[in-house]
Amino acid sequence: MALTLTCPVCGQRNGYEFRYGGEDKGPRPAEAGLTPAAWCDYVHMNKCTAGVQKEWWFHRDGCGSWFTTWRDTTKNLEVAKPEASK
Amino acid sequence: MFWKSKPLWGNKTRLKSSYDAVIIGGGLHGLATAYYLAKEHGITDVAIIEKRFIGFGGAGRNTAIVRANQRTQYNVPLYKEALDLWPVLTKELDYNLMFNNCGNLNLMHSEAAMKAARMTIATAQFHGVESHLIDAKQAKELVPALNISEDITFPIHGAMFHPPGGIVRHDAVVWGLAKGAAKHGVHIHQHTEATAIHTEDGKITGVETSRGRIHTPRVLISAGGYSAGLIYHMLGIKLPIAVLTIQAMVTQPLKPLLDHVVSSGAYHCYANQTLKGEIATGAHMDQWPNYTTQNTAHYIKHQAEALSDWLPCLRGVKFMRIWGGLADMTPDMAPIMDGNDQIEGFYMDCGWGYFGFKSCSAVGKYMAQFMASGHCPDMLKPFNLRRYENHQLMGETAALVSYTPDN
Ligand SMILES: Cc1cc2nc3c(=O)[nH]c(=O)nc-3n(C[C@H](O)[C@H](O)[C@H](O)COP(=O)(O)OP(=O)(O)OC[C@H]3O[C@@H](n4cnc5c(N)ncnc54)[C@H](O)[C@@H]3O)c2cc1C
Ligand SMILES: [Zn+2]
Repeated sequence: MALTLTCPVCGQRNGYEFRYGGEDKGPRPAEAGLTPAAWCDYVHMNKCTAGVQKEWWFHRDGCGSWFTTWRDTTKNLEVAKPEASK
Repeated sequence: MFWKSKPLWGNKTRLKSSYDAVIIGGGLHGLATAYYLAKEHGITDVAIIEKRFIGFGGAGRNTAIVRANQRTQYNVPLYKEALDLWPVLTKELDYNLMFNNCGNLNLMHSEAAMKAARMTIATAQFHGVESHLIDAKQAKELVPALNISEDITFPIHGAMFHPPGGIVRHDAVVWGLAKGAAKHGVHIHQHTEATAIHTEDGKITGVETSRGRIHTPRVLISAGGYSAGLIYHMLGIKLPIAVLTIQAMVTQPLKPLLDHVVSSGAYHCYANQTLKGEIATGAHMDQWPNYTTQNTAHYIKHQAEALSDWLPCLRGVKFMRIWGGLADMTPDMAPIMDGNDQIEGFYMDCGWGYFGFKSCSAVGKYMAQFMASGHCPDMLKPFNLRRYENHQLMGETAALVSYTPDN
């Protein structure tokens, strides 16, 4: 479905220029003491939120930036950062 | 409503405050599991909780393709049993499921793909499933409309021919299973949304619904594309799933020209001719997760381009209807069936992506066995959730796919 995303460098562009990069899972876990369960959680596991989520995107057919943004997965629309995380 | 309607499957039932088992999702897997719980295990005090109406999810949106030519030794026997069950269920349910075993033709567009097909065929044959490798000329003999010229985007090198597969009427499966389950005492509650799951000391105690609380020691989440989100937000269990909209469409009805299901991985396109004469065709999934189930010009164009390449007689034919549904994809293209582990009495059956129709008959049978005994049947053991952290991903796809970063 049609989507417009805001690249921090190029501004608003057609969603098909971008590659989805997954749910934002915070920083990569430290190597020291890393368990298979924690690594699996970081690599594979998702929350699959039906609603607003923070996620990664890559401007593949553009400037090449990686950035995070917020999107409502039920409407496929980019949204403003939710109030709670101000 | 101004009239009193009686559901197609039997009498309207009252939502009780307790059940022996509650199934969330009135799709193919929920209905089949309920049917077998009641019929084979004497667990008849079962409620199916359905947010909308039965068949609202993938059950009523899929393109109805059935086959048993998967890639690994864990998947093939499960799908074979499912395929063998269609004629049995047709009799047992006394409902015409319209199984048309017209055979599936899976086109190969490179020598590498032909080699991969050889391995898949060897696996099928080892498990007693009929599957053959054929060359482009033989494919043309089977499907004269096929374009085997070398002048197309992805020239056809050959195909994997799987005669026992085909098409089953998906709505009939929903109605037949609902009728069968209700006959054995199962309650089907439509327009009832599961909103929370209650646990105590690591055990299931009940389900909260939009129409009140239900006490139960057993819950199955089989809510198709909605399962992963529900499981995380209700129980905090994360799954390796990405939920994507997948689209399908049909053309205007035509005279008979295609009597096999034909699919192509390279074109991301598959097609078959329905009994009404329409060409039913499906596309790849959206490029980013979403729950919209909406259609896009992008895919209509993609389908038209792909079909007019390898089935050129369809040039100029019009699409009449288009729709979308959800595909819950795992990284190894195999489902997750697990339970009675993280939480006592909690079961899950999800990650069925775009292959949960062809499997539903056998899965219902084994999930019922699992829920009745509390022990995972051998057939389902390889599909456990822990395989991901144990690095035992299934080889259903030759390479690890990630439907998130590089779909
Ligand atoms: C376009 C398309 C084409 C496909 N083609 C094929 C094919 O050719 N072959 C094949 O094998 N498979 C195919 N599939 C996949 C198949 O349809 C699904 O895998 C299958 O329907 C999954 O069955 P299910 O019972 O798990 O879920 P569904 O059939 O999706 O049912 C889930 C139900 O859960 C309900 N629900 C959701 N949330 C709640 C809640 N909170 N409370 C209560 N109920 C809830 C929904 O309303 C829905 O009715 C296709 C899917 C799509 C979308
Ligand atoms: Zn950019």
